[in-house]
Amino acid sequence: MSVLRVEKIAKTFALSHNGGGSLKTALLWWKRRKLEKLEVLREISFEVQPGECVALVGKNGAGKSTLLSLIAKVYKPSSGSIRVDGRLAPLLELGAGFHPDLTGAENILFNGVILGLTRQETRNRMAEIVAFSGIGSHIDAPVRTYSSGMLARLGFSIAVHVDADLLIVDEVLAVGDFEFEQKCFQRLKEFRTAGGAILFVSHDTDSVSRIADRAIWLEQGTVRLSGPTEEVLRGYLSGVV
Amino acid sequence: MRAELQELWKYRELLLTLIERELRIRYKNSFIGFFWSLLNPLITMLVMWLVFKFFLNNRTESFSAYIFAAYLPYMFFQMTLMDSAQSILSSMPVIKKVYFPREVLPLATIGANFVHFLLALFVYFLFLLAVWVKNPGRSPFTETLIFLPVLIVIQLCLTTGLSLMISALNTFYEDVKYMVGVILYLMFFLSPIMYFSEQVRYSQALGDRAELVYVLYHLNPIAMLCTAYRKLMLAPVSPMVGDQRLPYLPLDWALLGVCAGISVATLFAGYAVFNRLKWRFMERP
Repeated sequence: MSVLRVEKIAKTFALSHNGGGSLKTALLWWKRRKLEKLEVLREISFEVQPGECVALVGKNGAGKSTLLSLIAKVYKPSSGSIRVDGRLAPLLELGAGFHPDLTGAENILFNGVILGLTRQETRNRMAEIVAFSGIGSHIDAPVRTYSSGMLARLGFSIAVHVDADLLIVDEVLAVGDFEFEQKCFQRLKEFRTAGGAILFVSHDTDSVSRIADRAIWLEQGTVRLSGPTEEVLRGYLSGVV
Repeated sequence: MRAELQELWKYRELLLTLIERELRIRYKNSFIGFFWSLLNPLITMLVMWLVFKFFLNNRTESFSAYIFAAYLPYMFFQMTLMDSAQSILSSMPVIKKVYFPREVLPLATIGANFVHFLLALFVYFLFLLAVWVKNPGRSPFTETLIFLPVLIVIQLCLTTGLSLMISALNTFYEDVKYMVGVILYLMFFLSPIMYFSEQVRYSQALGDRAELVYVLYHLNPIAMLCTAYRKLMLAPVSPMVGDQRLPYLPLDWALLGVCAGISVATLFAGYAVFNRLKWRFMERP
């Protein structure tokens, strides 16, 4: 039973050169705009099993982030199907879901609920989340006073405490200083032992080979190579299969 | 639409959290915080009373009560539409990362503004009661006050439908919010807020056409609601225009029925538009 099953996914975007966003441009250019399409993903299929850690590698513009967004249900695929069994938690980059004027605790509540917990469940985990983030008494200060390291730590701490079955991470796998980074990797290890799966995008090949069991190399919207991490990385780094 | 509503029900916790969050944010960095919600209508009431009583020399009995019966619902309508125009755009960073039914964003804006509307109504009723205590001979209310919840539901349908539509369209074309601003400004004068609907019906300038104009005027749902709030809540009054007293017109229930029909249709249309567009928010050009 897989946690994630992606079948023949394709995604096409409408391309815009004029920036758009006003009624005038829409009326003036509607004819031309229809012609421009960008095929970002073609015929992508793969599965992720519980406890697995899968890395997506590839050059900029290969479609890695788009694929993650499709899995997170932020986009609708142009064709194909995606099935997620269980709860999915995307790791929000640097406080994307935080409101600067609210305190850390208030933001935890909002983020927990948006990731699928109830408010009571989030309150029950509050102490644990705060303890893990190491933010301490600053948790009652507005988030705008936080350093970027504190924001990243808080975001990470929330994502790993919502009991997700699948964690989706775009580029920021471990955050903070060396000590916190160790804590992140430790926590991810526990998360996987408990049956959680991780799907992540990274350009940092060291961390890919450190924690991924499997890697998928995307090139121009298709799977170039998929298999054990070392093998895929070797191909990716040399540029040939 | 049914599947969409079930999905929305699953995310009711998120909706509540967002409403609470919006209420918190609004007065977060202010000293007296939530009291602004009470102070705002109070100060407005005071200034309007002064202007109408002493500058415009309005001699209709307790006219300020009649003004506010329409002014407060109109403010709720206006604030909600203006706020919801930005509701999707201002949450783009979260929308780009996490899935949730997008309609909770404009709905939370409506919810937060609705709480403020209820607070303002509360202050308004306190004010009416205070006047009544001072002047016990004349009750400010009528028995049809029990229909107030019905009016509020009609207004919520209208506001929700329009908010969904505006928030979705404004995500693609930010011209929408400027258009809405202008239209709301005009609607303020085309609704019986600073004057009485009797003044439309008995307009001397309109002559024979006044009756037709009166009906057309009330086909605008927000104008109809303003008239209805007045006539269902407050004791009948014959407005004074200059030295002339106009006869009181009772509420036209047929017109209110049309208004309810338009409002419910707007709700469905708005939700349909929103659902059609919501998957493209991320891909806006």
